[in-house]
Amino acid sequence: MLDLHSTEAVLEIEHLAISFSQPRPAVEDVSVTLHRGEILALVGESGSGKSMTARAVLGLLPPGAKATGSIRYDDEEILGLPEAELNRIRGRRIAMVFQEPQTALNPVRTIGWQLREALRAHGTPSRKAATERAIELLRAVEIPEPERRLAAYPHQLSGGQKQRVVLALALANEPEVLLADEPTTALDVTVQAEILRLLDRIRERTGTAIVLITHNMGVVAEIADRVVVLQAGNVVEEGETRALFADPGEPYTQTLLASVLRLPELDEPVVEARRAQAASQLDHRSVPAVEFRGVHVRYGSSRRGRAFPAIADVSLAVAPGEVVGLVGESGSGKTTLGRLAAGLVPLADGQVLLRGEDVLAAPRSERRHLRRGLAFVHQDPEASLDPRYAVGASIREPLDIHRVGTPAERDARVAELLEAVQLPASYADRRPRELSGGQRQRIALARALALEPALLVADEPTSALDVSVQARVLELFRELQERMGFACLFISHDLAVVHQVADRVAVLRAGQLVEVGPVGSVFSRPAADYPRRLLDAVPVPDPARRGRRVKELAS
Amino acid sequence: MTDIAVAEPLVPVPVGPVPDDPAPVRRPGLLHALVHGRGLVGLVLVGAVVLLGVLGPLLAPYGPTEQVAGANLLGPGPGHWLGTDELNRDIWSRTLYGIRADLVVVFAAVPVGAVLGVLLGLVTSWWSVTDVIAQRAFDLLLAFPALILGILLTAFLGPGLLTVGVVIVALEIPVFGRLVRTAVRTVREMPFVEASQVVGAGPAWVLRKHVLPNSLEPLTVQLAVSMSVAVFVEGAMSFLGLGVRPPHPSLGSLIKDGVRLLHDAPTFAVGPLTVVVALVLGLLLISQSLSEARRA
Repeated sequence: MLDLHSTEAVLEIEHLAISFSQPRPAVEDVSVTLHRGEILALVGESGSGKSMTARAVLGLLPPGAKATGSIRYDDEEILGLPEAELNRIRGRRIAMVFQEPQTALNPVRTIGWQLREALRAHGTPSRKAATERAIELLRAVEIPEPERRLAAYPHQLSGGQKQRVVLALALANEPEVLLADEPTTALDVTVQAEILRLLDRIRERTGTAIVLITHNMGVVAEIADRVVVLQAGNVVEEGETRALFADPGEPYTQTLLASVLRLPELDEPVVEARRAQAASQLDHRSVPAVEFRGVHVRYGSSRRGRAFPAIADVSLAVAPGEVVGLVGESGSGKTTLGRLAAGLVPLADGQVLLRGEDVLAAPRSERRHLRRGLAFVHQDPEASLDPRYAVGASIREPLDIHRVGTPAERDARVAELLEAVQLPASYADRRPRELSGGQRQRIALARALALEPALLVADEPTSALDVSVQARVLELFRELQERMGFACLFISHDLAVVHQVADRVAVLRAGQLVEVGPVGSVFSRPAADYPRRLLDAVPVPDPARRGRRVKELAS
Repeated sequence: MTDIAVAEPLVPVPVGPVPDDPAPVRRPGLLHALVHGRGLVGLVLVGAVVLLGVLGPLLAPYGPTEQVAGANLLGPGPGHWLGTDELNRDIWSRTLYGIRADLVVVFAAVPVGAVLGVLLGLVTSWWSVTDVIAQRAFDLLLAFPALILGILLTAFLGPGLLTVGVVIVALEIPVFGRLVRTAVRTVREMPFVEASQVVGAGPAWVLRKHVLPNSLEPLTVQLAVSMSVAVFVEGAMSFLGLGVRPPHPSLGSLIKDGVRLLHDAPTFAVGPLTVVVALVLGLLLISQSLSEARRA
């Protein structure tokens, strides 16, 4: 085994500054040293310059960017090298893995072709040797049956396997440095845990130094040796992982760590949150805000016999004023169920009752009225507001549709709603593109609340936001929910978020309901096996627990 | 950044994350593109031609069909800037009146076709049945090359400026219908459309409030392109004798006469050709600058 804590520097970045034509530089002053065989985490919120720093190492900056300072690999200056010189280093000595495995692989070529191409570009002479090496690489990233997988196309692989193939591509020439830009962000928690462990093992086996760029403090705590915290293009704090988590020195690091949501320990005594206690007092005998009765949803044409069951026989009721979290991995049907409540997907079988009335059985005119008690907050803050309208007009839209009050009253209501989501009323004139992601999501929330809905369907409303922004939006959401008392179906893949806001939680897997119950008991003592595995896989933002968890996962 | 914090009354906001807010930077609009660089050149070219057309009756020394005694096939000279034709008519005057005929076609027929196409496209592409019907009809129209369609319609309607107009309208309807269909398809999948549908917005609301405003920008680009095509179509149809009937002038028929008399009066076609080139080039420059500004 290699010495994991060698002090020999392999990559040194000194006073790196990257600027565009914009006034604020993307990176102002970043100095980072990477040692051989080390996993270094670059953490920071969006716009902190963490990705730009990594891209600068490989000369992959967008056109128009100017970089100054120094980047040395093996004591050789590589910043500002011409392309031909850089190609000597790219892929061979320093390799990069991107966030989205979907777009990193060519969809019309087989995995084997892509691996062979990478190998031959860097000098593996024969086709046969390349094939053998490709199999070896796939085995190294722990893909089962590598010989058969060579003939597979990217779409035939799962997201986790695709990311493994991308890793294999990056490792093809045994690089000394691997830059991994959010390698697990697009993956489910259980898959994320596997990839993280794989990275750790690769480092142990080959001594490759890894720069892990991430916003997820749980991931950092899980595998990083050292952490560099970036904020607005500057290094705020740097240190050994355990020490930094135990005693963050800078206020920014402290807030960053404080805004990370934590789950309770498994098998601890059930502590029902304050909210859950309040929820138990909810009148469950009253008419539920929404009730699913044995619903089925199928995608694809049933006539051609290719119908795919997205939801199979789910029954669930949400009481008025109750927040029910829907959790599950991708493909579990959680989003479909939310969209079903909102009437955005057709129902194959069963009944959806809104305040006790069957929406689909109701005549058209009634349906419109029933819909009025409904609102939907979408995941993507980029696209959830019409770019052509000022945000005030977007908030007003539901009022306009239902012709509520006079135009002056509507404007007053818009100001009131903006205030409710803690934005100044003057923001009504702004365009969505002039707002940050968190602010846009506040606007989307304000629009959803315009008609005082009885039920709000929130589809991953915070998953695109930075942790500190997410924390504030969730806080706001909870406050509004308590004040206005709407019921909510809160869809999220992030268990900690659901734990924070929900009264009850419903766990879905492959379109079926696995477990429903109060948040406290499901998260501390899950009855079914699947929620337990999900909870186990969530990276815990506490490096001190790492050793224990690795053992748990191995067993 | 500090001046915003001052300008904005933050009093009603207790804990909002407002202060660290970038100043709103508005993207320069499409209008900006029209008064700078390429767009400006296009606008000047088109503007000059339009001005000539509008002021034609004031600028023209003779009437469009007025025969000047003794002036047969003269070259350019002080009395007749562009010369005269074989029927003793002043070409400069005829060109000015010809511009008027073209302007009517370009600035009336194209917008009529555009509006009809947009409305048809908007209304039909929402439902799959009407969508299929309308799009196949558009296919049928698009399958005809412009001139073949022109000849076909002339067979029914007879030659004339109105026929040219009808041909252009018929050509533009499917072009704009297609374009709007694309917009309908993309915009209606957007989350903000879903958000308004969930609270009860119907197709009419979505089309009017979201789809149409979001497709206006590509439509303005297409409008400029279509106008330049219309100049061509008028020219080609009149050249073939399907358009404006003699003795009335149009740019196309003037070029036709010029080509016929190329040996006797080599400079005959220069004037009308210059105008056509200016008009087409100007419109294309405008469309280019608009589409660039859109992508910026």
